[in-house]
Amino acid sequence: MVAFARGSADAFSVLFLRYKQPLFGFFRRRLADPSQAEELTQETFLAVLRASARYEACALFRTYLYAIGFRILRAHRRKTAFRAAFLGAQIEGHEPGMESSVSSDVVVRQAVGKLEPLDGEILMLREFEQLSYAEIAEVLALPVNTVRSRLFRARMALHDLLAAPAVKRHADGLAESEGRA
Amino acid sequence: MNTTTHPVGPEDLMALLDGELASAEARAVSEHLEQCVECAGIVEQFRGVSQAMSGWSVPDAPSSLEEAVRVRAARAASTAKDAKPVRSIRVSLWNWRLWAIGGGGAVAAALVVMTVALSLTLPSRKMVYVNQPSRQAEMGTAEIANSATPPPPPVVGSSVDRIVSQQQVAGFAMRGEAVQSAAKLAPGGVAVAGGQFHPRDSHPLAATSAAPMIARTVSLTILVKDFAGSRASLDAILARHQGYSAQLNVNTPEGMPRSLHGSLRIPSAELGSTLAELKALGRVQNESQAGEEVTRQHADLVARLKNSRETEARLQAILQQRTGKIEDVLQVEEEIARVRGEIENMESDQLALEHRVVFATVDLQLSEEYKAQLNSPDSSAFTRMHNAFVAGMQNAAGTVLGIVLFFEEYGPVLLIWTVILGLPVFLVWRRYRRMNAGD
Repeated sequence: MVAFARGSADAFSVLFLRYKQPLFGFFRRRLADPSQAEELTQETFLAVLRASARYEACALFRTYLYAIGFRILRAHRRKTAFRAAFLGAQIEGHEPGMESSVSSDVVVRQAVGKLEPLDGEILMLREFEQLSYAEIAEVLALPVNTVRSRLFRARMALHDLLAAPAVKRHADGLAESEGRA
Repeated sequence: MNTTTHPVGPEDLMALLDGELASAEARAVSEHLEQCVECAGIVEQFRGVSQAMSGWSVPDAPSSLEEAVRVRAARAASTAKDAKPVRSIRVSLWNWRLWAIGGGGAVAAALVVMTVALSLTLPSRKMVYVNQPSRQAEMGTAEIANSATPPPPPVVGSSVDRIVSQQQVAGFAMRGEAVQSAAKLAPGGVAVAGGQFHPRDSHPLAATSAAPMIARTVSLTILVKDFAGSRASLDAILARHQGYSAQLNVNTPEGMPRSLHGSLRIPSAELGSTLAELKALGRVQNESQAGEEVTRQHADLVARLKNSRETEARLQAILQQRTGKIEDVLQVEEEIARVRGEIENMESDQLALEHRVVFATVDLQLSEEYKAQLNSPDSSAFTRMHNAFVAGMQNAAGTVLGIVLFFEEYGPVLLIWTVILGLPVFLVWRRYRRMNAGD
């Protein structure tokens, strides 16, 4: 990024190739519409381009990138909520990644969706973007201890949420077998 | 799970898995983990969650993403290049427009102000002329009388009131020519007019049946340099012209110009010369004259007085010649007393009216042309600082008190309006926040 900030076009290509998939995944897991995920990915890279002259290497580039991405995502959510509240537009459902219709994916997705938004955000930043606690704290502008406690809470809640459907499925299966007998 | 049996907390276990512990702490937690089955179970839970989440895969980024970013970046760069000169032009244009709009606005405002001022000035131009300290007003009466200035336009009609008003409006009230022309227009000659009062009889009101009676009022504002000398001259002028001051107020404040305000009574015959001498005291700032015709009022009063006197004479004759009952005599005496009272009232009114005609009223305002004293003792720096500090504290206290009073007076209303307006805003904000969180 430092090389890119000095005007190296190749440096940007390297950064783009390295982070395009993680960033696209970041948006894709949080948005229902794939085209919007692509659009916001583009906007994030363009924002990085525009701000390259002002970049200071005081943090990891991925922290910087996800901070920008998170701001863009938050602005997008704000606009969507505003349109829904005042213009009657449809709110996007929290069902990202519809094409990957594996049953385990759907269960995880639904369980994450049931978490408190901030807890779910912290958990996803940790599990998918592999950010450290300090990086998550920087991206979300939270104290590190808050990130840690919320992450713990999110994991425990998600464990319970994932365990409950399994018990239910097991119970449903037993009932079905008894009915056949 | 408690801290007595487990020296490490579950969050530490999670941090160990995430690699967020320092090496010494991580070693301690690992050692405990090897011995504690319960903690190992918790760790397994965390691992299970992570494993479950890792199954949430996303498709690859579209191949068009890179191209799209490059195109948009190139477009943004070209727009920025193109926009730069345009921006500078915009700035210069904006400056030009700013100046043009500002200048035009200033000119328009000046035009509006001038128009309004003219519209306000034009109808009262004559009055302003009277009120302005004109050169004629500054000149002595004798000078004015000898000047070659043409007389005012002739006034058609015999109303001296109109003539005097015209003199007042045109600023020629002090001019002998104007007064004489008014006298010519008046039938039978003017007995009382300006300073040219020529009594035909020993009593100035002997000719009231033929000449109009005019009560004159003059207002003078004079700026004098030598206030004490002017004060003495004023007394001398009054004594010389047999006038007197009905009211006199002198203000001599320290460090400010002195002033004198007096209501003078001057014999109408001496009014012109008296005014000329008064004007010589200093610079005339304002002068106005007015004349009120009281001829009809006086004639009416004289007729009523004559009738009342005749009635009184008849009643006296009745009382002396006739005899009758006591009641009738008493009734006649009561009637005589009533008529006598009316006569005395009318006589006093007549005297007051004639006095107003014989003695003109001059409202004089003398103001000193003040010059500040060079050796005026200034307060010391400490005193001024002290006074400034006290004034500042008083101002601060006043401000605080004003704020407190404002909130006391308007606080409840503001609170009510805050609740009325804030509640819908809060509801909308909460709805918006929920939607945002749900997204």
